[in-house]
Amino acid sequence: MNKAVSQSGRLIGQGMVRVDADGKVRGLTRYLNDIDYTGMLHGVVVRSPVARGRFKALVPDPAFDWSSVVVATAEDIPGENVVHMHDRTMPLLAEVGGELLYRGEPVAVVAAKTIELATEAAAHLRVEVEELPPLLTLQDAIAIFKKTPVKFDSMQDQDIVKGDLAKGFAAADDIIEAEYWAGHQEQLYIENQGFTVFPLADGSILCEGSLQCPYFPVHELNDPLQLPPEKIRVRQTPVGGAFGGKEEYPTMLIGYAALPALKSGKPVKITYDRHEDILFTPKRHPVWVRYKTGVKKDGTLTALECDFILDGGAYLTISDVVMFRGILHCALAYRCDNLIIRGRVARTHSFPCGAFRGFGAPQAIWGMESHIDAIAARLGKPPHTYRRQLHVRPGDVTPTGQILSKENGSTACLDLALQHAKFAQKRRQASRGKLRKGQTKYYGIGLSFFAHGAAFTGDGEAKFKAKGRMELALLDDGKPGVNIRVSSTEMGQGVHTIFTQIASDALALDPARIRFPMADTGLVPNSGPTVASRTTMVVGNVVYRASQDLKDQMESFASQRYFRGAKTVLKNSQFAAKSRRPLSFAKVARDMLTEHGPVNGFFEFKLPPDAKWDQVTFKGDSYPGYSWSANIAEVEIDPLTCELAVTRVTAVLDVGRVINPILAAGQVEGGLTQALGYAIMEKMGTGQNGLYDASRLQTYIIPTSLDTPIYDVKFVEYPYSFAPPGGKGLGELPMDGLAPAIANAVESAIGKRLRTIPITPEDLFAALHPAQGDNTP
Amino acid sequence: MSTITRTWKVNGKPIKVRAPAGRRLLDYLRDDLGLIGAKEGCGEGECGACTVLIDNEPMVSCIVPVGQLADGTEILTIEGVEKKRAGRLLQQAYLECGAVQCGFCIPGMIISSYALLPKNPKPPTQAIRPPLSGNLCRCTG
Repeated sequence: MNKAVSQSGRLIGQGMVRVDADGKVRGLTRYLNDIDYTGMLHGVVVRSPVARGRFKALVPDPAFDWSSVVVATAEDIPGENVVHMHDRTMPLLAEVGGELLYRGEPVAVVAAKTIELATEAAAHLRVEVEELPPLLTLQDAIAIFKKTPVKFDSMQDQDIVKGDLAKGFAAADDIIEAEYWAGHQEQLYIENQGFTVFPLADGSILCEGSLQCPYFPVHELNDPLQLPPEKIRVRQTPVGGAFGGKEEYPTMLIGYAALPALKSGKPVKITYDRHEDILFTPKRHPVWVRYKTGVKKDGTLTALECDFILDGGAYLTISDVVMFRGILHCALAYRCDNLIIRGRVARTHSFPCGAFRGFGAPQAIWGMESHIDAIAARLGKPPHTYRRQLHVRPGDVTPTGQILSKENGSTACLDLALQHAKFAQKRRQASRGKLRKGQTKYYGIGLSFFAHGAAFTGDGEAKFKAKGRMELALLDDGKPGVNIRVSSTEMGQGVHTIFTQIASDALALDPARIRFPMADTGLVPNSGPTVASRTTMVVGNVVYRASQDLKDQMESFASQRYFRGAKTVLKNSQFAAKSRRPLSFAKVARDMLTEHGPVNGFFEFKLPPDAKWDQVTFKGDSYPGYSWSANIAEVEIDPLTCELAVTRVTAVLDVGRVINPILAAGQVEGGLTQALGYAIMEKMGTGQNGLYDASRLQTYIIPTSLDTPIYDVKFVEYPYSFAPPGGKGLGELPMDGLAPAIANAVESAIGKRLRTIPITPEDLFAALHPAQGDNTP
Repeated sequence: MSTITRTWKVNGKPIKVRAPAGRRLLDYLRDDLGLIGAKEGCGEGECGACTVLIDNEPMVSCIVPVGQLADGTEILTIEGVEKKRAGRLLQQAYLECGAVQCGFCIPGMIISSYALLPKNPKPPTQAIRPPLSGNLCRCTG
């Protein structure tokens, strides 16, 4: 048993009931739109009516009564008109005279006492433009990439190179090449985006709303608002789902609301309705990925060449890092000594794409896991035996040169999934395009196998140094306890509960004496954004270590104060020294607070000193740790209607130490369901008018309880021993690999490979009736 | 728009209603009665977050104009569910089984589950799926 496991206590590993669930099942939890903000104004964003054009003028209707309406334009931006995300190109509001780069690009914000008045006023602002020809879709961009590569407009390039590609292809017996496509995907949190911004007397702003990363706006709005970080305070309200959608975008929303708030001196709230939220917030990046692979007859992968191109939309925002994560996952799971992976971010005149659970990895794994099946088929090997042969395990070297430690449960995931789903046996029943005896539907079974790098890429965590504080305080009931002060946000994933478990074990304190208040940048140190499957692994370790620090301080105080220096231990919520009567936590805490003032445990996260990373060459340790998974999907396809049902999904995961098995299983099932939608239901693209072609819940269809299969979820534990309690990434992994498992199952059902997701009944009809071409029903 | 004057029972309590006939029931419950448990997720009857029981039938309150509801209509919202024994048991089951994540869909989910039980007190999994399919959940599916 390794260190992380032996150090865990009573609650880690238990299915403790969520600390926030009671308010949620009783309807008492107050999300942003449940809070009464007396005296506030409602803001409405005015947008570009074209996908591309010269912004000539913003003309208010002279017949409209503007007296009770606040209008903010780029001219009202106190500082530089730029929101610095990963570059400094995107304005907060478009400027007259400049170029509008996507349909819906904000040009002004209108605020009024009611949302109806603000909406009406916005309709009386005419946006005058001179239209220019747009490049709307990734398909258009890829056509240029293939025909005239010099004209292809990439916002960010990055290559990964290992070995000698030419030598690798020369050594191959066969070369297999294919392209894979995927479209947009909407996060579809059920609570829409929203924020309220209060202008305060000292010139600062207080921002309350639904977000994942409270410190992003604090640092990204300094230039346009001319406010230093300490004058932008951000408080999280309960988040009704996020999935990446509330990662970078809320910064924009706060910026939009801040302008009329600062102009009018009144609080301004902007909340989107569903239609606006779908149309004008970031999506998962569409992808085009091409694999060219060289293999020997025995299956050895001698060469892999990959082009991975994302549709970034009109501005880079955070797409560079999405692409980085994508290319780092393009060939992560298999042995190959010679490879080149080229990542690009295409610029199109469409809404900038952004964060969505998986962050580039699902796009990469979609291509790779389809392609591995295609290679296996060419070799005449079953897909599972080929993966068992080729997959990486401890001691193997990744594309960036990282040697996998023994804390990688890759083989265990693959073998247990195959065994548990009876893959080999069931595969014999696959229809392969011809109904077998007793079958009324085509049956297929498909496999995928993959890893997800946990935490920030490369040396991101080393540079960031996540900080956290455990605060001894009087709680809401007037009695002493401990507040967890980190910037991680609860958004459904259960961080409030699992951090309570971790803190309780590390402190040896009753969890009822521990609180995790909503993140508030006025009170929490910067432990980083709630993203990148980093929270349990990195911030969980910060909470664990800061709790130990607080425990040490309190034990030392108790030893001196009551026990004449005798060794004192906090255990079972009591301070005990040898042959002395134990003292309650409450007594010691009260005395310590009275005599010392504020008492806090601190910790700052560090990576192991031998971790190496080169951000230019992409060589070294690309992630601190890896989670692993194998997914097996079983499908049935109606030969007449082409309806596709996913009937059963087996998922085996190594996410390190499982802190709360009930929460973990729930998060996995939810992630698999999103991946199911990505694979077969959620169809969205940029239409010819520059808007997404599915913009309502009537047209953008996500899985319901009637679409979800039987889930069989199992964990194997290979903890991250460097950072107790030893969790690795969990949040994104379930979204990463079900789509290719389903596509592989479809291939096994109908005998044809589909290389674009989502796979709809129309696509299946076309595949099953090729003679009829486009004549789909 | 014409104004209606009606008497309903909301969570067992008689309520005198005076509102424009076209006002959405969801807005009336949330803004006029302060019953914020029902949520707006889409505003067009697709997501189910605003589900309440109207005369024991689950309905999406974002597309019900108050003028459609006659005198004597009985409405049950999440705030009233815990006053019933079956409601409390359901809430407890949601807690213990880990059914809750972000929580935004949960009031609607519990209302739809509560409506199912009188018709089918011990439903097998396959019987639970159709009545809950009108409640979208993006966390747990």
